[in-house]
Amino acid sequence: MRSTVLITGATGGLGKALAAECAARGWDLFLTDVSEQALAPLVAGLERQFGVTVLYRAANLTDPQARTELWQAIDRLGLRFHFLCNVAGIDFEGPFVERTLDDLHTILRLNIESTVETTRHALSRRDRTRPLHILNVASLAAFYPMPLKAVYASSKRFLLDWSLALNRELREADATVTALCPAGMPSTPLVISLIDAQGLPGRLTTMNTGEVAARAIEDALRGRAICIPGLINQVLRVAGGMVPPQILAALIERRWRQSQKQAAPVLAARQHSPDLAPSTR
Amino acid sequence: MENVTDLTGKTIVVTGATAGIGQAALTALAARGATVIGVGRSEARCEAARRVLLSAYPQAQITYLVADLASQRQVRLLATAIRERLHAAGADHLDVLVNNAGTVSSWYVATEDGYEMQFAVNHLAAFLLTGELLPLLGRAEAGRVLTVSSGSHFRTRIHWQDVMFRRGYGILKAYTQSKLANVLFSAEFNRRMVGLARIRAYAVDPGLVNTQIGLKGTSGLEHWFWGRRAAGGVSPEQAAQTIIHLASAPTLEDPDAVYWNACRPCRPSRIAQRPAEAARLWALSERLCGIIMPEGQLA
Ligand SMILES: NC(=O)c1ccc[n+]([C@@H]2O[C@H](COP(=O)([O-])OP(=O)(O)OC[C@H]3O[C@@H](n4cnc5c(N)ncnc54)[C@H](OP(=O)(O)O)[C@@H]3O)[C@@H](O)[C@H]2O)c1
Repeated sequence: MRSTVLITGATGGLGKALAAECAARGWDLFLTDVSEQALAPLVAGLERQFGVTVLYRAANLTDPQARTELWQAIDRLGLRFHFLCNVAGIDFEGPFVERTLDDLHTILRLNIESTVETTRHALSRRDRTRPLHILNVASLAAFYPMPLKAVYASSKRFLLDWSLALNRELREADATVTALCPAGMPSTPLVISLIDAQGLPGRLTTMNTGEVAARAIEDALRGRAICIPGLINQVLRVAGGMVPPQILAALIERRWRQSQKQAAPVLAARQHSPDLAPSTR
Repeated sequence: MENVTDLTGKTIVVTGATAGIGQAALTALAARGATVIGVGRSEARCEAARRVLLSAYPQAQITYLVADLASQRQVRLLATAIRERLHAAGADHLDVLVNNAGTVSSWYVATEDGYEMQFAVNHLAAFLLTGELLPLLGRAEAGRVLTVSSGSHFRTRIHWQDVMFRRGYGILKAYTQSKLANVLFSAEFNRRMVGLARIRAYAVDPGLVNTQIGLKGTSGLEHWFWGRRAAGGVSPEQAAQTIIHLASAPTLEDPDAVYWNACRPCRPSRIAQRPAEAARLWALSERLCGIIMPEGQLA
């Protein structure tokens, strides 16, 4: 039996940073994400950089069959976990009526269904000799009703409430659950250009991914229920709590419509320039 | 200006040859008759640069290869493509490798290998590509490895406790450290290759140059600042002179000097001259690239 950290969505910007943060602490890792091609170089790089053992398997977590196979593979390896980072999650931005049913199912399956199931599996395969820490990547969006990101933000709200409840419930079992609620993270050329398009507000709410990952792991180890990296983001959260939700929704709608206008040229330019490679997820 | 040396028969690779200093250097070297291979990350920009060069010098022996140097997999594939290209051109060796590609980023970005972007592109890619091409360079009469560094390396050190700046990332911290790494690499290369006096490494300080480098990975204030600053720099053509000098002069006034500015040998920073720092960086780079560089004799 090997005590390991499980990270889903490991090849995205935050996933890579969390993996590095855990490996830097000398922990062995098991990584998963959709693309084998993205996992292989990351695993090699982490092993070279930190000298830990990193195992991996590609799996499309929106597919229940793929999830089953993933856990069968994990059981063949006989892994036990002392840390779980539920990073895999997806967003399709834009009006609800323009989303296909497939899009909607994908958000619900990945952000909610898979996260809940993965957590359940990890709990029953925890390393019983030490505390278990679970980090669920929600979002600052979890605190607000968000027009144009309605399903996404609500899925993150689910993760937030569920994490809070579970954190309480698992206290006796020596396990902690932390909801990480970051603002946008500048981890890919596309996201960076979108943040740039937002101008100053984008700049102020944005934090380096490495910093977010470090803060998140520290807070999870301390058993904090909620981790909001960045002072401005904490202020936003408190301020948001003082405004009635109907008004908040109206304010946010205005803001998103405006930032969509700012982002339009960026997205259009991206279609003509394959170099601004979009992230895999 | 340099006196013009005919470079017919020489084979030269220049990375980051779709803009700025690299494009200027490649053009000048091709104009002097060298067989050149330019490297860029964008197919479209490679094709555009190739056309511009050929319209000015229709006789130029020029190939462009596409590789994103942020990816070690692509650096290795690039080395294979260079070998094939040279073979097809009937050359059994590479005379000069110019590690010029460079990048800046306002934000901490991890590459597909999980490494910080500026360290990966500005230093590790140069290290790995040099390692991969070493056998070809060793077969040249006087192989040269030129790595474009910067005067900004004077104001920094290697941050050993967190070379990738996962915490406390700063655009300039990461940039200047990578440029110091370029000098340390060149110096250590020469120490390790003593048995091979025929192949030498030099770090080039191009001075302040008017290029777009600071506008690509930045935004807001940083974007504005780099733009203003670059406007006061020399032209890429002028900055390329030192590269052209080191690539083409049959003998150099001081072949043992590692750091060059304005076609003259200069003294790099104190840290850049420390063998222990250089050896430590070399070992780290070997580990992060998953290669062992041969020493002294080449197979
Ligand atoms: N400008 C200065 O004042 C100054 C001063 C000191 C040192 N330097 C150094 O000089 C070198 C050249 O800089 P420059 O000013 O000429 O910049 P530049 O005009 O931006 O050119 C950089 C070149 O590198 C390429 N490149 C960037 N990232 C790459 C990647 N991941 N894979 C492959 N190619 C990549 C660029 O391709 P694209 O065309 O696709 O962008 C471009 O061809 C750099 O090493 C820089 O650090 C510059």
